[in-house]
Amino acid sequence: MSLTPTFLSLLLLFLFLFCIFPLFYFMTNQLITHSLTHSLTHSLTHSLTHSLTHPLTHSLTHSTAQPLRVITEDTCLFHYLVPAPMSPSAKSMCSETGSQDSGDGNSRTLHWDPDPSTLQLHSDSDLLGRSLRLGMAKVTQVDFPPKQSVSYSKETQTPTCTQTHTQAKPAEEEEEEEMAEPKPAEESKEEKADQEEKQEEVTPKDLTEEEKMQLLHSEEFMAFFDRGSRIVERALSERVDVCFDYSGRDLEDKEGEMQAGAKMSLNRAFSDERWSKNRVVTCLDWSPQYPELLVASYNNNEEAPHEPDGVALVWNMKFKKTTPEYTFHCQSAVMSAAFARFHPNLVVGGTYSGQIVLWDNRSNKRTPVQRTPLSASAHTHPVYCVNVVGTQNAHNLISISTDGKMCSWSLDMLSQPQDSLELVFKQSKAVAVTSMAFPLGDVNNFVVGSEDGSVYTACRHGSKAGISDVFEGHHGPVTGLSCHSAGGPVDFSHLFISASFDWTVKLWTTKSTRPLYSFEDSCDYVYDVMWSPTHPALFACVDGSGRLDLWNLNNDTEVPSASVCVNGSPALNRVRWAHSGREIATGDSDGQVLVYDVGEQICVPKADEWTRLVHTLVEINENRDEGEELAAQRLVA
Amino acid sequence: MAEVEETLKRIQTHKGVIGTIVVNAEGIPIRTTLDNSTTVQYAGLLHQLTMKARSTVRDLDPQNDLTFLRIRPKKHEIMVAPDKEYLLIVIQNPSE
Repeated sequence: MSLTPTFLSLLLLFLFLFCIFPLFYFMTNQLITHSLTHSLTHSLTHSLTHSLTHPLTHSLTHSTAQPLRVITEDTCLFHYLVPAPMSPSAKSMCSETGSQDSGDGNSRTLHWDPDPSTLQLHSDSDLLGRSLRLGMAKVTQVDFPPKQSVSYSKETQTPTCTQTHTQAKPAEEEEEEEMAEPKPAEESKEEKADQEEKQEEVTPKDLTEEEKMQLLHSEEFMAFFDRGSRIVERALSERVDVCFDYSGRDLEDKEGEMQAGAKMSLNRAFSDERWSKNRVVTCLDWSPQYPELLVASYNNNEEAPHEPDGVALVWNMKFKKTTPEYTFHCQSAVMSAAFARFHPNLVVGGTYSGQIVLWDNRSNKRTPVQRTPLSASAHTHPVYCVNVVGTQNAHNLISISTDGKMCSWSLDMLSQPQDSLELVFKQSKAVAVTSMAFPLGDVNNFVVGSEDGSVYTACRHGSKAGISDVFEGHHGPVTGLSCHSAGGPVDFSHLFISASFDWTVKLWTTKSTRPLYSFEDSCDYVYDVMWSPTHPALFACVDGSGRLDLWNLNNDTEVPSASVCVNGSPALNRVRWAHSGREIATGDSDGQVLVYDVGEQICVPKADEWTRLVHTLVEINENRDEGEELAAQRLVA
Repeated sequence: MAEVEETLKRIQTHKGVIGTIVVNAEGIPIRTTLDNSTTVQYAGLLHQLTMKARSTVRDLDPQNDLTFLRIRPKKHEIMVAPDKEYLLIVIQNPSE
């Protein structure tokens, strides 16, 4: 009962304070407020009796111990200014002052410090004896990183604008206060481990280089790559092509057969449905300017009488396409063809009718741009040999027909020959030339092979123009002739080889009219032979049974060092080494041109090949002399 | 890391290999030896295809998973080695 009036007065006081303190807030004069409140509290405390302290404090603590209120700014200030927490302390103070049993004897004046921490300091000691004392909580720096997805902008990787903000938050009453601004927390790369997952942007545009490097260094990537690359490498090495088509659409993989090891292997097979079928390859030549170009000339197609009789096709080794680069044709079967050496655009052809034709790949025509006349001043017999000899400034086109006539032409003007020469032997017998060869670097002397089986040397100019020597040895028409052309420390340009219908290839030297050696490994007409342009002791020959042989004089003169039999055994008509000496082209009677790669150990000459060849030649010479002596002895005996 | 580089180079210089692409789980190419537009195209499309293939395999047998994917168009061959998170794509020309 005694409580109620004091309680009522307290309530009234509180109401009074509630009314007044907004006013104080507006005045924003703390001192005034301080003094006012001070006086008020003083009056309050004085008005209160001792007996009220304890329960009052209890009630007060109860009333004030309600931390879960929504605080507004006024009440904020209210808490600061109003001695509500103070009131217990005031109460305690007054109790203490009243009871005067506190031993510290500190005349407790309220240090009205806006800093809550100091307030707390002061009130701390008050709480010693009291339980359930409402105290100022230590201010904690709370850092709440918001749970939100991180979006990276491509440009900035280093956190320039986002920083952790440590906002000083006041007492526990303000835990529920809304954050001033929710700032995105900084994520440094080193901390987050799941950044790899979060790095994408909405449109998977790109990752920056750093991100990629990061990924590549990560553990998972290593594991993945180890496994994945293993599988892939195995799969890569399995060259089984399950979609391989045997029906023949892909020509390159079918023709020919793979030869043993690295000796000779078929590289390409050129043939054209329309132009080369049913025709015989009559001549082959590699381009001096573009090592991948090859011209092949064909004779007439008996089964297609309306097609032009003579065809020359330029094939390209470099690309996989199976059609010729250029197609040329003319009215008469082309028996020989050559790239004009100093004119990269011109292809020369000698025809069956005796005409020399000139094709130009700059023009769009397939027919010749120039032709020699069909007259007695030119050729009237098939021209089996054409060759451009000379130098850049002084060169001629030499052509020889089977009637023994040799003409030299200027490529600019084919209307009449510059020079012509009748090749007659012993002033009577015209030489039916089937093949011709110029030694390396020589423009004057040359060798010709004829239908009667003899080989002749001849000169173009000079007093002894015409046939000089005869080399007899073959028993059949000479089909192919080749002069030694591999330049090196020792000059072997006096050597030449000839192939003939008598199944043999003979090695000659211009110094002697008897053959040095005869290679008799073949069982059919030998159609062509050629020295390797790089290897001094190597030459190739082809015969009518489809065999392509490589002979190395330094290794063995009895058997070829390498041999390939062409699929289907067509008669191989021509053989030509590429200028690099690594590839051989052969033309067969079915109109196919086959290019073989020669293994390195065969075609690349070693440094001592030349000296070895000298020794070989000496041996051969000795053997020959011995053989002759033996033969002579037998004859005698 | 050097091993990765070396292996990648070895794969790239393998006979007939046209290009190599490493793609992450989102379909973003990480390493490539082709030009950008081709890479992006391949990565995007093959990523989708691999996901589809993997889901197919899983649907057929939940215990199963896709280990290797090989696509054989007429001109090249595309090999995809998938993983939980990455894809290794190798394009090879088998006729060489």
